[in-house]
Amino acid sequence: MTELDPVIHAAARLRITATLAGLTEGDRITFPRLQELLDMTAGNLSTHLRKLEDAEYVVVEKTHQGRTPTTFVSLTRRGRRAFEDYTETLRHLLGEKS
Amino acid sequence: MTDQHTDPDLDEAPPSADEALALIRQQQTALERDQLSGIPWMLGVWGVAWSVGFLALWSGYDGGNPWFRIPLPIAAIVFAALLIGSAVVSAVIGMRLNRGVRGPSNFSGAVYGIAWPIVALSAYLIGVALAVNGMDRTMQSLFFPAIYALVAGCMYIMGAAIWRSIDQLVLGIILIVAGTVAPFFGAPTNNLVMALVGGGALLISGLVMHLNLRRRRRA
Repeated sequence: MTELDPVIHAAARLRITATLAGLTEGDRITFPRLQELLDMTAGNLSTHLRKLEDAEYVVVEKTHQGRTPTTFVSLTRRGRRAFEDYTETLRHLLGEKS
Repeated sequence: MTDQHTDPDLDEAPPSADEALALIRQQQTALERDQLSGIPWMLGVWGVAWSVGFLALWSGYDGGNPWFRIPLPIAAIVFAALLIGSAVVSAVIGMRLNRGVRGPSNFSGAVYGIAWPIVALSAYLIGVALAVNGMDRTMQSLFFPAIYALVAGCMYIMGAAIWRSIDQLVLGIILIVAGTVAPFFGAPTNNLVMALVGGGALLISGLVMHLNLRRRRRA
């Protein structure tokens, strides 16, 4: 396994996935809070989330908290596994190098 | 907010495996730091409350502080105000710790957060019940700080179990030791023990955690 997952292997999506994977499994985070943690523009974050969503790595849920619409983002089980495989592949590659 | 990550070049793959791994570590450290940054402040606020509050009480009793006296009612008010103030500050910080996140971790945080006022109130009421049933003032002044330290120590140990934090485990054990040992010194010296050992442990652990987080920021 030396192929790096192209969905994750892009700086912006790697940062998004790493942040979501850093949350407790099953936790979901609001879009604005994720944006704050990543220091990305809303447009940029949306674009990359869509790519991750297309790969079924993340779920984007639009709900309401009272009257305020809230968007929650979470890593799917498949996404978490893909991230784990990705980091394992990285380590494998680095191990081969050294 | 800066636009440093809007560069379309960032869409390109990170050039190397070690850079990608560094990016993962950097991002997860940033997340952890952001989520934990309020805790040293909480510990610091409680450390000041314990140190100043118990020193005030020690200065309020006969046979306490040899350098100066504070009238006991004023010392008691200072102590109560510091405790209430710290409870409010840590409730506010606590509610912000996991902001924007919903899910299993919320449950642990909420249970832990609610347990604090429940056990503190329960410990206080047990003391009141003993006082109503004849426990004299000297015994009260030994009992309240001890049970309070025991409760706080148990809460930090519970926190250590939930968040796998050695810092909190050490702090919890020191507070329990302080609470257990202090009554053996008799009143009012027990208050000095609480101020130095309990307050000191809170202040030092707050400082240690703050420095650890700052070191990770630089790494």
